[in-house]
Amino acid sequence: MAADILRVEKLSKSFSGRLVIDNLSFRVAEGELSAIIGPNGAGKTTLFNLITGYHVPDSGKIIFNGQNIAGLQPFKTVRLGLARAFQRTNIFPKMTVLENVVSACITRQERNLNFRTPYKKLTQIHQRAYEILDSVGLTAMAQRLSGTLAHGNQKLLDIAVALALEPRLLLLDEPTAGMSPDERWQTVALVKDLWERLKVTMVFIEHDMDIVFGISQKIRVLCYGNLLAEGTPKEISNNLKVIEVYLGEKPMMDEAC
Amino acid sequence: MLNIKLNPETNIYEPETKTRHRVATALLIVVFFILPFVLAHLGRTGVYWIWVTTEIIIMSLFAMSLNLILGFGGMVSFGHAAFFGVGAYTVALLMKKAAAPLLLALAAAPLMAAVAAVIIGWFCVRLTGLYFSILTLAFSQLLYMVAFQWYTFTGGDDGLHGVPRPDFLSPTNFYLFCLVIFLICVWLMRMLVNSSFGLTIRTIRENMDRAKFIGVNVRFYQWLNFIIAGAFAGLAGGLFAQLNRFAQTEFLHWSRSAEPILASLVGGMYSLMGPTVGSAFLMCLRIVLQQAHKGLVEYWAIILGLILLVMVLFAPGGLIGLVQKIIKKKNG
Ligand SMILES: Nc1ncnc2c1ncn2[C@@H]1O[C@H](COP(=O)(O)OP(=O)(O)O)[C@@H](O)[C@H]1O
Ligand SMILES: [Mg+2]
Repeated sequence: MAADILRVEKLSKSFSGRLVIDNLSFRVAEGELSAIIGPNGAGKTTLFNLITGYHVPDSGKIIFNGQNIAGLQPFKTVRLGLARAFQRTNIFPKMTVLENVVSACITRQERNLNFRTPYKKLTQIHQRAYEILDSVGLTAMAQRLSGTLAHGNQKLLDIAVALALEPRLLLLDEPTAGMSPDERWQTVALVKDLWERLKVTMVFIEHDMDIVFGISQKIRVLCYGNLLAEGTPKEISNNLKVIEVYLGEKPMMDEAC
Repeated sequence: MLNIKLNPETNIYEPETKTRHRVATALLIVVFFILPFVLAHLGRTGVYWIWVTTEIIIMSLFAMSLNLILGFGGMVSFGHAAFFGVGAYTVALLMKKAAAPLLLALAAAPLMAAVAAVIIGWFCVRLTGLYFSILTLAFSQLLYMVAFQWYTFTGGDDGLHGVPRPDFLSPTNFYLFCLVIFLICVWLMRMLVNSSFGLTIRTIRENMDRAKFIGVNVRFYQWLNFIIAGAFAGLAGGLFAQLNRFAQTEFLHWSRSAEPILASLVGGMYSLMGPTVGSAFLMCLRIVLQQAHKGLVEYWAIILGLILLVMVLFAPGGLIGLVQKIIKKKNG
């Protein structure tokens, strides 16, 4: 068995008195490709926000790579090897696609305090940035202002920026949201391919059940901040509770949740 | 991972425009070096105009220093005069009370301003948006009050008059002295803006949250940028005290802080030289109006307001942005 790269222990978070993450515990094994599913408002994004330090948990521990990172500021969690792509695209819209990735490479290599060399002359960093752009298929758009890209490509750039940080754990929040069915499957194939080649641990949030069951090794079902079920795709599809809550009709889901 | 050769086309500068740019810049610099000698031939009005251009150079430096945080950093400071004033008082106090040589006093000005920026910035970068702006304003007004009240040290509202001027600094020489310092500062700021540090600052301006998630310690870099901007402002203030041969509380006043903001807005916040163009434009316009008709200056606030209105509505990139747009259109 691989060691756990992430252990979430009795994590809780409430917003103005409403419990959004409720005493949540789970483990992610190193090298795993796993999915988190759950209805809207289940607390999936909040969970990512807690892990990456955007929100401070009310209680509980987040052990990343043996260290409790609960409440650590985002830039510190990034330095420890966490990176994420966002549900709502979150890029630097008035910079070129290349500059988006170069910025992340510069931070990864801790070159931010270089006051002298023009960043455009950092050949090695640019080469690295092009490798990353190529791995998500955005090389041809390197010089475009990233804000002018189509939605799908902005999502890919968001992932590329995260990849540039060379994370040990990559959190993808609905990477295919807002994409056409074709784009979705392309993106999913890309995510799987990246996972295989980079040997990075990945956790992704996804609504499309075909995708979730198609590529994940493990699925966790989140509902009202609770872990409803956890297991392999097979185990999950056999789990009646989940079938009721999530795979069933929408009205049923609302009743159960 | 995949191996890709760096595409030569992607090197941003095209050699041709780069050369043209360089030639134009060199010519402009030569013109500014010759200017005082031409003006000196005009007798008394000439000396006045040398004084005015020196003031424009200094205020341009002040405006550029603000723009490091305003345009490049996205931090709207309403209290940048604090550092201008600290620099001015440093030069005035050192030269007048301690008989320090000019160069020493001018070296101390940015240093003292940086020290002030270290302290003030430490608090201010903890806030964002309007709260940041208001806190910078509060700190600068605090310094203003200190200078106003501490009569024995700062001369209170009389200020410090009669700052000594070394003999060799004729108006022409002082102009040249300021020009050289200005050019060195422009060179330094250009380096800064184009560096990895500059790019990091831009990521913060563009999307502060995302900057955190690529691992940028946002507060630290904002603080650093704030200190650097403060140091350049201090140098401008020091030169200004030497130009006027006095330092007074008005140098610290919030209305002083407004000048570089207006200059950056009018000239263009998103280019290095925008604030310089804006400063020169506004100061020249004011003088021209004054010469045309004494009464016109009374309407200065209205005229300024109209200019700003037009700029904000029709040329958000300022004068430089406007020129760039026109050139782009011409080239197809
Ligand atoms: N910063 C916040 N402040 C207040 N409420 C929040 C905040 N973030 C999330 N919430 C609330 O927490 C609940 C879970 O949200 P979220 O984690 O975004 O759900 P999901 O990603 O599973 O759709 C929602 O009801 C949402 O309104
Ligand atoms: Mg969400």
